[in-house]
Amino acid sequence: MTTSRWLVVAPLVALVMALFTAPAWAVDRNVAGSLQLDYHLSPERSTPVGSGPTFRGFTTEAALKLTAEISEQASVNFKVCVGCHGFETDMVHLDYRFADELNVRVGRFSPSFGAFNLRHDPANHRLSDKPLVYDMGRMLRVRDWNLGVLPSPFPDNGVEASGTHWFGSKTQLDYAAHLVSGFKGSTAGADLDFVQSRSGSLYYVDNNDQPAYGGRLALTERFSQNGDVTLGASLMRGAFDPGAKLTYTITGADLTLRIDRTNLRIEYLMRRQDLDVSDPTRYRYEVPAKGGDSFVKHGGYAELELPVTASLDLVGRFDALYRSGNVLVDSPLQARSGIFRYTLGTAYSLRRGLRLKYSTELWSFSDTGYAGRNEAVSMHFGVATAF
Amino acid sequence: MKRTWALALVTVVVFASVLSACVKSSQRVRALGDGLDARTIPLEYRADYELFAQRCSKCHSLSRPLDNGRIEDRFWAGYVERMRRQPGSGIAPEEVPSILRFLHFYSTEVAADVEAKSEPKEAK
Repeated sequence: MTTSRWLVVAPLVALVMALFTAPAWAVDRNVAGSLQLDYHLSPERSTPVGSGPTFRGFTTEAALKLTAEISEQASVNFKVCVGCHGFETDMVHLDYRFADELNVRVGRFSPSFGAFNLRHDPANHRLSDKPLVYDMGRMLRVRDWNLGVLPSPFPDNGVEASGTHWFGSKTQLDYAAHLVSGFKGSTAGADLDFVQSRSGSLYYVDNNDQPAYGGRLALTERFSQNGDVTLGASLMRGAFDPGAKLTYTITGADLTLRIDRTNLRIEYLMRRQDLDVSDPTRYRYEVPAKGGDSFVKHGGYAELELPVTASLDLVGRFDALYRSGNVLVDSPLQARSGIFRYTLGTAYSLRRGLRLKYSTELWSFSDTGYAGRNEAVSMHFGVATAF
Repeated sequence: MKRTWALALVTVVVFASVLSACVKSSQRVRALGDGLDARTIPLEYRADYELFAQRCSKCHSLSRPLDNGRIEDRFWAGYVERMRRQPGSGIAPEEVPSILRFLHFYSTEVAADVEAKSEPKEAK
């Protein structure tokens, strides 16, 4: 075996030995899951009849998670989910905790980014759908926009070191740094290919030899017994084409304010990404000699979650999504396109763990779209359970 | 006369049953919304429950721990530690004993409830 191979194998052997020579500890397992059925009603048609799925009508999201504590320091998580995309592996990872300040995670997981992803499970948020920047398929004109800025969840293969530290009893600092395969796209791709990035049927392996990297830093400050505020910043950067020449950079900032059970959440995400302009005729707008080889997609949301009674919550959310940069000749988008979405929703607990959800969304597009309109209305009727 | 006695007996039985049910339900913690009705939790654990509900509902539904079905203290100690280490959990290390005190109380209630429900079957 060559020296370089030993460099890879030796730490793994040491980790396995550390796990299995730890003091005797009965393996403890915990099973949790969730299910959401949602009916999305919208008169808006973004594609001609019969040209493909519209993501109107029923969608189901379900997940089952097994956590096994194999020692005081080590645990394994295994989670599968079913959505519009069929079965996917959301997480299969090993956590080894050296201290609160250092946890090492290896396997398949969503790297730490932003505030929303921790609550991406539909049982953990009050509205049926996700913020627009994290949308994974429920948004109107989804094909035109190729989803949001960072469709959540975003499981990937790799390693993450993270930790948490309390300064006294009021200030919590969280940090994480990761190295993962990264998002994928084709050589001549004009955007990330999210299906290729997460689908097991196209192999859970990287399409280039350049790992993506990133991290998150967040500070939580408690200002009263039932009130705290969290400020966070996140980053992801990598190459997405097989030749590892085209890169993307995603940055994010978030603020969460919680007073009793009332939550105010504000997040902003931006993705800057290279375009392959080796064939300028593919693009609608002239590609300048300098610059013009990238586009920016960014947006954010502000959400207020207000408990009215012990069983009833009201939610108001404002979303914005904006894209600027060149587009392919056949794209329905322009050099600058945007969406505003206004949501008013409610969630009612029929019983503990069983929630009915209803929301109305008003959409305002900068482009007229297939139906020749700039405005649209849609409604969600959902039922979600956690177990 | 026999009819009057029968009516009286039925009335007493019904009244006793209702009273018994009332007494029994006042001893049990009741569900309310996504959590529990704090008024049905004994005073000594009420603050622990409020802390548990405030911290744990930040990221997930309270049904996750409350309907988990696990009653072992050792399990909850590991579970709460794992949650405490989640980014932005807001669970300070010194708050863990209070949360565990409530979970111990609740688990004991759940265990008692399960035991009570299984008693008639064992009698058969």
